[in-house]
Amino acid sequence: MSAPGRRSAPDDRRPVIDDEADRWLVSRARTGDRSAYEELVRRHRDRIYRIALRMLGSAADADDVAQEVVIQLWTAMSGFAGTSSFTTWLYRVVVNRCLNHRRSQRTHQELSDADHPRVAGPERRVLAGEELQAGLTAISGLPEEQRVPLVLVQLEGLSYREAAAVTKTTEATVRGRLARARATLMSEMKDWT
Amino acid sequence: MTSPAAPTEGRLACGREADALVAQVAEGHAERLDDHQRDCPYCQAALAEFDRLWAPVRAVSAHRPQAPDGLLDEALRSIRGVASDPEFGSITDARGRTRISARVVEALARHLASRVPGVRVALTRLVAAGAGPETSLIADPGPDVVAGVAGGSTVVAITLAADYGEDLVDLGTRIRAAVADGVRASTGLEPVAVLVHVDDVLL
Repeated sequence: MSAPGRRSAPDDRRPVIDDEADRWLVSRARTGDRSAYEELVRRHRDRIYRIALRMLGSAADADDVAQEVVIQLWTAMSGFAGTSSFTTWLYRVVVNRCLNHRRSQRTHQELSDADHPRVAGPERRVLAGEELQAGLTAISGLPEEQRVPLVLVQLEGLSYREAAAVTKTTEATVRGRLARARATLMSEMKDWT
Repeated sequence: MTSPAAPTEGRLACGREADALVAQVAEGHAERLDDHQRDCPYCQAALAEFDRLWAPVRAVSAHRPQAPDGLLDEALRSIRGVASDPEFGSITDARGRTRISARVVEALARHLASRVPGVRVALTRLVAAGAGPETSLIADPGPDVVAGVAGGSTVVAITLAADYGEDLVDLGTRIRAAVADGVRASTGLEPVAVLVHVDDVLL
């Protein structure tokens, strides 16, 4: 049985989140305790990486974003009001970082693609399995407003309410965008055999 | 191949909304047919097709990647700053000398303390560069896990949050035993003191 402060996952997609322990660690990290911050990172490192991979569809990009997030969270820690759970704030930071990464990458690619042919990176070796690769590619091709609720609700298992808190929208908006994302994916996957 | 009877938008020939069937599949309920669906070939065909098309998304959902080893270490090092690992303990035997970083002892102590039932979370922090272990502990009485090492001896101090309802004195005794035994067994260093500071209790 889990302690009252530990939230059990609604299904096996989400590992147990210990909000109370996170709160204690955040309170110490906000006063400059680096070891508390390191423990927070240890507890959430796989979550950070997983969201980035699902948002971006590339292991190399997920590596970059995960490292950026770790530095950004530390510098932003003193500004974390604590009105939402640390996990909600973390999701928001990672998602926004991914969106920014994608936007800057798009600008960069527009400038450089003509001169530099694509080379298969390590992610090609890491992401074994055609289904998995097809899924990541299709998801990463979704428009931002559809991709975010799909990753948060469909893949990360957040409730509509939690996803609305992360994206600062309403539950109805999340529902609508998720439905559109699912329809888009079904349509995009029609060539999948 | 996609069946013409399985549009992803609008209505099927039987009048059912395609969106609802897409949601049914996406939520993992393709097999859960209602009364209409049990007798409807359009719905059954659409559900089967959507279920096939959804397989790659299911694969992503089932994939639980872990952050690659060492990925975040560089970022954490940049936060920690340079010269953050100034101390070493040393074990000398007939074949040579083994040097063990204070940071290794701290990580080990944190791991050992975290595994003691009743400990919710335990922390680690380095002794400031240039300070001796005993001095650091006295000057900084609120450390997390501080491992001061000198020669073959070490002093470990642990700050932690415990589960509500624990006998904290007994918990401290169990932590001291677990940490001292574990550090001795893994490193050969002799823990001359294990100081436990319970900072909070959590529900």
